[in-house]
Amino acid sequence: MAIRDDFPILKREVNGFPLIYLDNAATTQKPQVVLDAMNDYYTSSNANVHRAVHTLAGEATEGYESCRTKLKEWFNAERAVLTSGTTEAINLVAHSWGRANLSEGDVIVLTEMEHHSDIVPWQMLAEERKIELRYVPVMENFTLDMDAYAASLDGAKLVCVVHTSNVLGVRNPMEEIIELAHSKGALVLVDAAQGVPHERINFQEFGADFMAFSAHKMCGPTGIGALLIHPDVFETMQPFMGGGDMIETVTITGSTYQTDEHKFEAGTPKIAEAVGWCAAFDWMSTLDLKKEHQRLIGIGRWVAAELRTLGMSVYGRHEKQDSAVVSFNHPTIHSEDLAHLFDARGFAVRTGHHCAQPLLNRLGVSGTVRASFYLYNTMEEAELFVQQLKEITERFG
Amino acid sequence: MTYPVELAELIEEFREIDDKMERLEMVFDMADEVIPYPLERWDDESRVLGCQSEAHVHVDLEDGKVLMLAGADAKLVQGLMGILSIAINGTAPAQALLLSPDFVEEMGILNTLSPSRSNGFRNLFDKVMKDIRGFE
Repeated sequence: MAIRDDFPILKREVNGFPLIYLDNAATTQKPQVVLDAMNDYYTSSNANVHRAVHTLAGEATEGYESCRTKLKEWFNAERAVLTSGTTEAINLVAHSWGRANLSEGDVIVLTEMEHHSDIVPWQMLAEERKIELRYVPVMENFTLDMDAYAASLDGAKLVCVVHTSNVLGVRNPMEEIIELAHSKGALVLVDAAQGVPHERINFQEFGADFMAFSAHKMCGPTGIGALLIHPDVFETMQPFMGGGDMIETVTITGSTYQTDEHKFEAGTPKIAEAVGWCAAFDWMSTLDLKKEHQRLIGIGRWVAAELRTLGMSVYGRHEKQDSAVVSFNHPTIHSEDLAHLFDARGFAVRTGHHCAQPLLNRLGVSGTVRASFYLYNTMEEAELFVQQLKEITERFG
Repeated sequence: MTYPVELAELIEEFREIDDKMERLEMVFDMADEVIPYPLERWDDESRVLGCQSEAHVHVDLEDGKVLMLAGADAKLVQGLMGILSIAINGTAPAQALLLSPDFVEEMGILNTLSPSRSNGFRNLFDKVMKDIRGFE
């Protein structure tokens, strides 16, 4: 049975044509087991977590906490905070760690390759605390300028780096980046939203201090993600959102907080989403991810080469460690027009700045078309995509 | 919604076409209907924010009637500008303000009119209507 058979949405048509979904860097589709798990939860176990003693509450708590257990197993992490996604995870670090540890004159190192979610929280904090932000440039070969990176580390307290670019698919040399940062006494936050869908990371061996990512980019539900935190750093962090579930005691004169991950999970959490994410991990664990990644980057490399032959400007290098993301521009058809034309034939591709405007500024473009491939995509779909581009060019180019 | 006759006829024409690509081609052809707003006058005031393409619009009042000048680097956006021009150019501001943006959905061009990062047309429409309200 093919992987794609597990995804009911892939059987639908769009504008009278079979759906070919190539917007996986934005979000991935969900296998039937994830849909079933969430439906079963609401059908038979729905209750709030951590509070009541009744049977449903126990089942809901078990379902929610099993996601945390699964995260810790999958990534070999000691601390896993469940968040609404990568963005909230990064904001959590900015508020809980940043506010306690950064003050006027301190330095945070970012890169031009970051998604807005790993830029804006730091700009907000920098404005509030008069912190200096340094940006590592992206070079013409679509990689980070590592000399500039090394030079930027003097006085840095935190380095925030995207594991894999959502625009270029380029996987950064994270091991080297982390080692260099630590040698200069800086902590490292990794935006792994595009990395973890393609690579199973051992968080403890990896060595980062924070790692943020989202479920929905790895076949899980939207609305849930995680922040993995090094245990030593975890102990230094205070909650930034107050409310139910994160407290130990509350009196009218003050409150005390939980000491484990719950201190960062105020309010009713994403229970059904956690149950769904668990199912996604179970489903993914049946696959050989390394083999799938090799297959996908092979497709990405082939598409990139074909597009270059057709005269497209392609942004990315598509080496074996990169993700299968192909960003490009047509020489005469605007990216937005191209995306609408693809949609008319059932292809879902993304256009625009991909929430990475500093990177697009560096590339000298305001937008690109992006085709991103994931586990259920096939070489046949890639060939149809290239063929469709040829037909569009003949008619509209 | 009752549309001006010329727009109502266009909507009918679009509805008769099953193939979305053909409908898009028709929108692209409407780009020629736009009275160009000269590139050298494009500025922050004329820019349509939230558009994926570079889109500019300027609304004048000529003899008491609306006159929209516009331009965009994406053909779809410029085509939609052309359709909007047909609907509002030469009408009194009060009449132009009665127009609903729903026609692009009825024509089967855009899937949604909800304000979003991908929906330049809604931002274009809202900006044009805001400018026209300034003439009232």
